[in-house]
Amino acid sequence: MVNKDLLLTDVLPNVSQPARYTGHELNAGAGYRAGAEATLLLAFPDVYEVGMSYIGFKILYEIVNSNPAWAAERAFAPWPDMEAQMRIHGIPLYGLESYTPARSFDVMGFTLQYELTYSNVLCMLELAGIPVRADGRREGDPIIIAGGPCASNPEPMAPFLDLVVVGDGEEAIAEIMRETARGKREGASRAAIVSRLAKIAGVYWPQAQNHVTRRVVADLDSAEYPRKFVVPFLEAVHDRVALEVMRGCSRGCRFCQAGMIYRPVRERSMDNLCELAEALVGSSGYEELSLLSLSSADYTRIKELISKLAAEYGPQGVAVSLPSLRVDSFSIELARDVEKSRRTGLTFAPEAGTQRMRDIINKGVTEDDLISAASDAFESGWDQIKLYFMIGLPYETFEDIEGIAVLSKRVLDLGRRIAGARGKAGRVRVNVSVSSFVPKPHTPFQWFAQDSREQLEQKQSYLRERMRARGLSVSFHDVWASHLEAAFARGDRRLAPVIERAVSLGCRFDGWSDQFKPGLWQQAFADTGLDSSVWANAEYGYSDALPWDHIDMGVSRAFLVREAHRAASGLTTPDCREADCSGCGVCRGDVRVRLAGAFAGSPSQGGGQA
Amino acid sequence: MNGASIVRVRLGKGDEIRFVSHLGFMRAFERAVRRARIPVAYSEGYHPHPKIQFATALGVGMTSEAEYLDMELAPVDSGDLCTHDVFERLRLAAPPGMPIIAVCALEGRPTLASSIEWASYRVDVHPTARPELEDAVREFLLSDHAIVEVNTKSGQRRADIRPMVREIRWSGSGALECTLACGGRAHLRPQDLMAHFHSMQGRRGEPEQRHGSIARSCIHRTGLYFTDRGGGDLASPMSVECRDLVMAGS
Repeated sequence: MVNKDLLLTDVLPNVSQPARYTGHELNAGAGYRAGAEATLLLAFPDVYEVGMSYIGFKILYEIVNSNPAWAAERAFAPWPDMEAQMRIHGIPLYGLESYTPARSFDVMGFTLQYELTYSNVLCMLELAGIPVRADGRREGDPIIIAGGPCASNPEPMAPFLDLVVVGDGEEAIAEIMRETARGKREGASRAAIVSRLAKIAGVYWPQAQNHVTRRVVADLDSAEYPRKFVVPFLEAVHDRVALEVMRGCSRGCRFCQAGMIYRPVRERSMDNLCELAEALVGSSGYEELSLLSLSSADYTRIKELISKLAAEYGPQGVAVSLPSLRVDSFSIELARDVEKSRRTGLTFAPEAGTQRMRDIINKGVTEDDLISAASDAFESGWDQIKLYFMIGLPYETFEDIEGIAVLSKRVLDLGRRIAGARGKAGRVRVNVSVSSFVPKPHTPFQWFAQDSREQLEQKQSYLRERMRARGLSVSFHDVWASHLEAAFARGDRRLAPVIERAVSLGCRFDGWSDQFKPGLWQQAFADTGLDSSVWANAEYGYSDALPWDHIDMGVSRAFLVREAHRAASGLTTPDCREADCSGCGVCRGDVRVRLAGAFAGSPSQGGGQA
Repeated sequence: MNGASIVRVRLGKGDEIRFVSHLGFMRAFERAVRRARIPVAYSEGYHPHPKIQFATALGVGMTSEAEYLDMELAPVDSGDLCTHDVFERLRLAAPPGMPIIAVCALEGRPTLASSIEWASYRVDVHPTARPELEDAVREFLLSDHAIVEVNTKSGQRRADIRPMVREIRWSGSGALECTLACGGRAHLRPQDLMAHFHSMQGRRGEPEQRHGSIARSCIHRTGLYFTDRGGGDLASPMSVECRDLVMAGS
């Protein structure tokens, strides 16, 4: 155990938000026991408030802790002020449940949610006193495993990881714990346990560069889901009951990695959702219940679900919320049901400014959809709308960028006219957030180059000049951050030394604009003699070997190529829930589209409703 | 025992949650109320809030056995809920570090925040620091005024803190026990008093007090008090206009 007295009296009083580091939250487990058959430290490479919002860890935490023979704890990246204190006082990274040093655990599991958290992974290993490179670890060091969406191309991080879990973790985690326990019981060496774990389906062993197929939980209803959440005292980014209504999205936006790597759509049944809601609201006391998924408005029985939950929990002071809305009138209808008491802004993501561009990216949204959604929203009394767009998309012209300004102003004018009728035109705000396209592995756009930083900057200023109007505001994602995200998303092992160098130069929390230091990253690339544009700005050929070819996410390469060609011709591909099977190749065996708990038709017949 | 429409709750803030902010502490209590299925009344409007009124904020880093709040129960459902029920349900639902100490029913309207005038604290002092501190405390108590710079939200302000100190004494175990003005009219934070003692000893601004509200020495709140209108004696918030008192261990 770390020196708790030192921590409480000399360390925590000197850092911001000390409650990030003290644990003891409601529903937290007891944590590490020397006698446990296998122990796991769930490590989130970002700050507590972000990590505590992540449902994946809640699921894995529950699965491991519900087995009395195992124990799981949590650790988050310490904010730089805490990191400095830990280094000064020699306090190692520890689990929040029992203050046990990270080094004492059998397995340390990182989630890779975002490329710009890679520096924090290395920093956490350093603080834990664990050799950063897998080949430097010895008997007694924890086995370092990573998972999460970035596991779909773990190559830039490969030298730091003993193993990588690709896909859904619910089943794999239990197998990993069981196999680890067996290895310990039999007195197997660390290396022997690693090689045994590498045989588990969905586990990638960077040292062997094996071909790996993504793990998919076929039926969410029968998969484990927590009945209780750890409830933080510190306000998490998403501080509420998160009810995962479904996993996967088949809308098929061609830039969207999540829309490809979580296929097929697997909805939970209404019964299952109501039962989980009851347990989670009762055990947490949360004031908000959020229906989580990539596109919750697509849940087959969403209206019925919302009215049922709102009727049940509204009187108890619990608001039902939807984290994301589709761009259509139906979504506004839903928003009215759930947002009765919450007149905050609404957010829509048309993603592109012209129909031509939206067809290229297969965002099945028309200008009419947006206008009717926005007008319904203004009519219903909302006066703030947020719009998400992307620039730098494949085949983009300046006309498409101008289209973002035109569309945004049209929404603004509409709002001012509608709110003007109530005498409130002045209160209408349209806030536009513009990110830069990042080509991601396992998407139809994986072969495309990202625009150079100069191009993106030019496009940003071109758009900024056209977005000047009262009530209209625009914000842009940092170009350097998007550039690095692209380099690491499409990167290979040659990038590992750059990450190491950047960490030693002081890079941390690169996803935080106030912490991000592009100059240090530039220096890290220069020091290692590498050029980031080799990965970010190079177009890959359809016949080129890609760094992530050996990671099979289920969606076939042929489908991705076909989609890339259709993009080039401006052809859209409909959602397989509403039309014929688009042949993405993910459905096989038990794994298929499941709508509200029922089986959809077999993939060969198209994924219609059962 | 009759049903209660307003209950007053005394609760503690334990070591394990001493770094939780006042806002976090309030939120955690509200969630405990929801888990306890206590039918609390909600405010009207777009953002309905449970009608729970805390007495006064406790500095981050301190512990307490004397946090108080008034909670209004929804008139429709609470007919049969007595203070014993409220106490038991809260006790079972409260998170770690939030012991429920006592519950009583309130006769009048909630007046907690405006009625508190004094707070008592216990400050653990390291034995090596005690002799010097004893001198400072003695000198302080003999003086009529103590003008100090006090940090407030709006910047630094000069204030005479001597009248804000009602009592200071040393406990048998060597801790400093003090009763300080608390509330809207006059307020003295214990860490500011301790900082003043340090400066009397010629030690300027301890570096570890960088975050202001957290003193190195362990500060524990032991009581909050009204002033008795007649004699000016201290009165517990659970002794005025209260009935059906239920206490831990009773």
